[in-house]
Amino acid sequence: MLSHSEASEKFIADEERTNWHDETLWFVRSKRDKASKNVEDWERLRDQASAIKDYTLANLGELLLQFESHAQSNGIEVHWAKDAAELNHIVLHIAQEQQVQTIVKSKSMLTEECHLNDFLIKNGIDVVDTDLGERIVQFRNEAPSHIVLPAIHLKKEDVGETFHQHLGTPKGNKDPQFLTEAARQHLREKFLASKLAITGVNFAIAETGEFVVCTNEGNADMGAHLADVHIACMGIEKVIPRKEDLGVFLRLLARSATGQLITTYSSHFVKPRKGQKMHIIMLDNGRTRQLAQDEFRNSLKCIRCAACFNTCPVYRRSGGHSYHQPVAGPIGSILAPNFDKKSNVDLPFASTLCGSCSNVCPVKINIHEQLWFWRQDLMKAGLAPLGKKIGMNGMAWVLAHPGVYQFMGKCLRLVMKVFPGAVSNGLNPWFKQREMPEVPKQSFQEWVKTNRK
Amino acid sequence: MSSREEILKAINAVTVEKKDLPSSYLLDSDSDVYATFLNSLKIVGAHFVEVKSIEAANEALDELFPQITRFQSIEIIDDGLDLAEVEVLEMHGVFGVAENGAIWLTEAEVPHRVAPFICQHLVIHLKADSLVAHLHDAYLKIEKASTGFGLFLSGPSKTADIEQSLVIGAHGARSLVVIIHQ
Repeated sequence: MLSHSEASEKFIADEERTNWHDETLWFVRSKRDKASKNVEDWERLRDQASAIKDYTLANLGELLLQFESHAQSNGIEVHWAKDAAELNHIVLHIAQEQQVQTIVKSKSMLTEECHLNDFLIKNGIDVVDTDLGERIVQFRNEAPSHIVLPAIHLKKEDVGETFHQHLGTPKGNKDPQFLTEAARQHLREKFLASKLAITGVNFAIAETGEFVVCTNEGNADMGAHLADVHIACMGIEKVIPRKEDLGVFLRLLARSATGQLITTYSSHFVKPRKGQKMHIIMLDNGRTRQLAQDEFRNSLKCIRCAACFNTCPVYRRSGGHSYHQPVAGPIGSILAPNFDKKSNVDLPFASTLCGSCSNVCPVKINIHEQLWFWRQDLMKAGLAPLGKKIGMNGMAWVLAHPGVYQFMGKCLRLVMKVFPGAVSNGLNPWFKQREMPEVPKQSFQEWVKTNRK
Repeated sequence: MSSREEILKAINAVTVEKKDLPSSYLLDSDSDVYATFLNSLKIVGAHFVEVKSIEAANEALDELFPQITRFQSIEIIDDGLDLAEVEVLEMHGVFGVAENGAIWLTEAEVPHRVAPFICQHLVIHLKADSLVAHLHDAYLKIEKASTGFGLFLSGPSKTADIEQSLVIGAHGARSLVVIIHQ
């Protein structure tokens, strides 16, 4: 597997495409700004959302039990899964019981986290992703590169070619309207034929036992209302105390995500319809481990709006796939090390720590601080790459010895002046895509000595 | 130990500083809700017609959907597939939300939950005096556990998954007409 910086290097090789990616996501961020500025009480709303989530995390066990008991009295079957494997087996078991061959699934990052599709396909059950962006990447055998805009790494030419191969659309047709219509026809067939639908969960309400799913396309509803069985998959952190709290979160979610006033559909599933079976699977998969860590607990407040992706100068210029995780971007970089420190050691370093992510987060997660905490944690755990370890130790020693520091500064200035090739070469990673600065005649200390007598 | 017990045990082993549940979120609602609602409908891509009578509503709809039978029923059916051929569905909305153009719909207003999604075009009848300013007022209005399925619907179904180009008509209704009864 490529590290974030190695994968980014490939991504930015196509400069035109990188610029398009960067500008497009910045445009989404600007729409978010406009939408938030039109809400006078925006900052108070963020405070409330954050406080509700604080309460939730402090009372998680109690709220989950409340949710479970109310959902059960509404006629929903509730399952608990401690890890991805258990969730996958519960879904497979239900599918086999119903003898279904095909499942329609709306967007759920949690099922990506569990690699549910691969598991079901290996067990002979076809899964059709029904969100347009997810269907596109599924055809291409890729992972989503963004949690709200799964195919944002692709251009319409790519989608046209993919649909030509898989749906038989005319070669060369890249009109978004035409391609969307082709997907509508193709997926409508799947909706009408499917007996089992899987959706994610945006919010689960403890006091009523209902859950809310938000989409713009209407794919979650088309699947869930036509199927005999509906399975909703949620992380245990998705529960909120009261129904009225939805007012706070639904006002924040779409505005933060795309700058919309609200998603087209905010569906409240309370009871199964007559003759339908409804299941909810509540997944831990490391969330309780994250809950137990004071520095990282806050990351569980996330409502998956992706505002931190769109604002991140690193994400915009490196693309979602460079994060090699189902959830990319700044929030993904603080969630991933909790799953596996070793394979995600690069992610907390894929940031400038500029703090923009924390500033746009609707639930006020201190994302950039957590990135920094993870850096410390990973270095202490001895997981940093050797080069970084040597470099950091060397730097620490030099900075702790002022005489050495001054001497080395002098040497560097001399070397850069006399043999610029010694630093301006491919061996120096700082020279990539950059020019080295002009060498100053003297250091700041020397300047003070001569000018402030 | 079951996974349920295991998860609850892990949660309860964590001591998090106890916090109070924040009190209900209060927000003034004295703005011009009607004008705000119409503006929001425009932003979300919905078409609206203001009428004073049922006759005027039908006239407007005949003009919008010439020679197309409009489907309207609240008689419960078991199979949503029976609605797959519905071109235009007419239904009643419970109330509208000014800040975002969302309309609260429940399964009581349709023959089957899939109806507002599976039809090609959706028409919602709404009373002008049923508007609230924002979602906080909206949730005060919705009785808890009053329905098995309800939704806020704001505009026609849409996607921008191909190069961020907005396309109206993804999987749900291709258009939304809101008939506002004065």
